[in-house]
Amino acid sequence: MPAVRAEKLYKVFGRRADRAVELLADGRHRDEIADLNVTAAVIDVSFEVSPGEIFVVMGLSGSGKSTLIRMLNGLLEPTSGTVEVAGTDITRLSAAELRRVRSEKISMVFQHFALFPHRTVLDNAAYGLEVRGIAREERVRKARESLELVGLAGWEERLPTQLSGGMQQRVGLARALAADTDIILMDEAFSALDPLIRRDMQTQLLELQASLGKTIIFITHDLNEAMRLGDRICVLRDGRVAQIGTAQEILDSPNSDYVARFVEDVDRTRVLTAGSVMAPPTAVDSGQDPREALRAMREAGTDRAFVLDPQRRLLGVVNADALDRADDAEGLGSVLDTGVHRVGPATAVADLFHRAAGTPHPIAVVDGSDRLLGAVARDTLLAALAPPGHDAGEKDTATAVAAGVAVDGGEAR
Amino acid sequence: MSSTPLTIEVPRVPVGPWFDSAIDWLRDNLGPLFDVIGAVIGACVDWLAALLTVPTAAQLTLIAALVVAAGLLARRGNIRGGAIPTLAALAAWAVLSLVEALAGGVALVIGSLPAPLFLWAMNLFGASYVHPPLVLALLLLAALVVVSLTATRDRRQWLLAVGAAVATVALFVLHHIVGVPLDLLVLLLFVALAQVVSGWRLALFAFLGFLLIVSMDKWEAAMSSLALILVATAVAVAISVPIGVLAAYNDRVSRLIKPILDFMQTLPAFVYLIPAISFFSIGQVPGVIATVIFAMPPGVRLTELGIRQVDRELVEAGEAFGAPPLQILRRVQLPLALATIMAGVNQVIMLSLSMVVIAGMVGAGGLGNDVYSGIARSDVALGFEGGIAVVVLAIFLDRLTGAVTRFSPAARAQRASR
Ligand SMILES: Nc1ncnc2c1ncn2[C@@H]1O[C@H](COP(=O)(O)OP(=O)(O)OP(=O)(O)O)[C@@H](O)[C@H]1O
Ligand SMILES: [Mg+2]
Repeated sequence: MPAVRAEKLYKVFGRRADRAVELLADGRHRDEIADLNVTAAVIDVSFEVSPGEIFVVMGLSGSGKSTLIRMLNGLLEPTSGTVEVAGTDITRLSAAELRRVRSEKISMVFQHFALFPHRTVLDNAAYGLEVRGIAREERVRKARESLELVGLAGWEERLPTQLSGGMQQRVGLARALAADTDIILMDEAFSALDPLIRRDMQTQLLELQASLGKTIIFITHDLNEAMRLGDRICVLRDGRVAQIGTAQEILDSPNSDYVARFVEDVDRTRVLTAGSVMAPPTAVDSGQDPREALRAMREAGTDRAFVLDPQRRLLGVVNADALDRADDAEGLGSVLDTGVHRVGPATAVADLFHRAAGTPHPIAVVDGSDRLLGAVARDTLLAALAPPGHDAGEKDTATAVAAGVAVDGGEAR
Repeated sequence: MSSTPLTIEVPRVPVGPWFDSAIDWLRDNLGPLFDVIGAVIGACVDWLAALLTVPTAAQLTLIAALVVAAGLLARRGNIRGGAIPTLAALAAWAVLSLVEALAGGVALVIGSLPAPLFLWAMNLFGASYVHPPLVLALLLLAALVVVSLTATRDRRQWLLAVGAAVATVALFVLHHIVGVPLDLLVLLLFVALAQVVSGWRLALFAFLGFLLIVSMDKWEAAMSSLALILVATAVAVAISVPIGVLAAYNDRVSRLIKPILDFMQTLPAFVYLIPAISFFSIGQVPGVIATVIFAMPPGVRLTELGIRQVDRELVEAGEAFGAPPLQILRRVQLPLALATIMAGVNQVIMLSLSMVVIAGMVGAGGLGNDVYSGIARSDVALGFEGGIAVVVLAIFLDRLTGAVTRFSPAARAQRASR
């Protein structure tokens, strides 16, 4: 079951909204119905967000992003279409039922933080639980926990106005986390922050999401932010969906000139992350003997494999030549090469080049507890750089040519 | 050909008579309702005036107890048992007082207790019997002081409790043993209030200003006017804040009441007195009613403004976390609008003051009466002294309500950001 599902959503402001929806459903552009005196903010939007996904909605100012996200938790009622949250159609709920969905299933982080200036940081973080009627001790405990998660331990008794912008937004995030909902909506949550803090917050969000597994619907007008955060990205144009896909899909195969022009100037090495370009790794178990390992590697058609312990934690790399010479009795340990680069999934591709240059092994993408998620081989790295429009054959030559350049990786940045 | 001057007859629209008959109709059909309203308001004003001019020992003790209770309730977070012990003490006192008032049972209990327990008090007050309400009030104060000292570690609460108890005893001693008149004691209470709420400047002003009133022999009149103002303000706020909230929520209500408020504010204040008299006859009550109508508009306007000023995103945040509308009003909008609403209350009080003199014309008594008779008899001295007393009251109330805003949550947040 998807965490959130939007089905043919429309939101038209104005008196003759229903007539406008009919015309728009016929495929008219929103400028063509100007004589109805309505504003069509969201037009025929459908998507599904799976649990644990970061789904980014991206579009220019006025493209209907805020309107869309406010329909997902019922702050705005759709003119037509349905919104399902964890299987419940929230457009049919009574006001009281809708409030329950909001307090138990779906919380929100705001562009301008929207912290209550008259409440302490702690009471702000505890707000969602307070609304739900949870006893003070319990909610204080949970609020402290989530403040600690966002790195604000020790600031509990301050008032929001005493904090910097970045810290205030962390309180906003802690408030959403403490509410303990599976889904978090974030409307341009980082747009009011300056670039450095913004990057920090993005990193922190990715880390939190990796450990807590929340479903996040994130709104932004910044393509770089969208690409960095989103498992999938929905590009909105004038209220309609222009394209939905992963960062890579949108970069490689934009489905319209609009999207193509949008992504044209993107620095792909900054936007793509290790997580988005990594391939499933060839891995062997540390308990296997060299001959078994060799067979597994031949089947996979590679001459290098990662060695994992039983918890899938990364130990090192073995290569086929070494395995050939290895003594069966000694196991994999004797030929294990531990000199392998590890990066997190959020690392930008640009930061992988100098690592790739220094070693013959693929780069290992690991999570916070050193478990292997994927591998980035040198040729994958270069293929990721190829601009869209190249077919597979050209890609191969591009890779071969670029391979020489990649050694002095500094060029690529 | 001689031309006769053109005459256009504009028919006489009987606005006045219509109004008059509407009032007659209301009085005939809703008479009992107005009687009840009048009785309640009259009783409130009388009670308050008596409290301000000749407070009884029981009332003074009760005020001290309520101050301690307010401190305890404000700190309920840091107190073992939270608000429960305080509320229990207050409830016990209320029940016992009720029993005493209805059946006199408490007097019997006190009578059966050993006499030496009360002899000191009887000697102090020069009384030949124990006044049960005073005993109950003293017990309440004692209970709250004990709660303060045992249930919390907060030094300020200790200070408050002990201070209130000591002050009560000191007032008794000053009055009954030293022989300080009651008006000077009340004056001291005003000075203390000014000191706590605003600071030493206002305290000094209150001391000198009220002393001047006492020396002009206007104390009783001033307190009677103050009682009228306070009751009128309470009624005006009780009506205007909810209307203001409604207007902030609903544009149609807002558009509807705007012209009504303009009308209420610009109609010459004297005009209210006429229907007020016909509903409530002569005395303080029509004074209060006319004052309420005249003084209410800024309360409504500033409440609406204050609530509309609260950041839309904050209300949305409340909604996004599933808070029901009334809770958002109570925990987000009202606290953040409080400073503006208090500015409205301040305006209400100022308008009430200006109305008090006019209300003197319908026999509301107090300073208005003095000023009015000053005019009627062209007695400059009498009128001027009344006027000066009004000015003292006005400055005191204005600064006091202005300073209360300091305690509002929004103001606290703003101070913190500096
Ligand atoms: N309550 C409303 N009444 C009328 N029109 C509205 C309302 N809210 C939004 N709109 C219009 O809907 C369109 C989409 O607005 P929306 O706020 O969703 O855009 P956005 O993508 O969030 O833009 P931004 O990046 O500026 O926040 C805009 O043209 C806006 O003027
Ligand atoms: Mg927006």
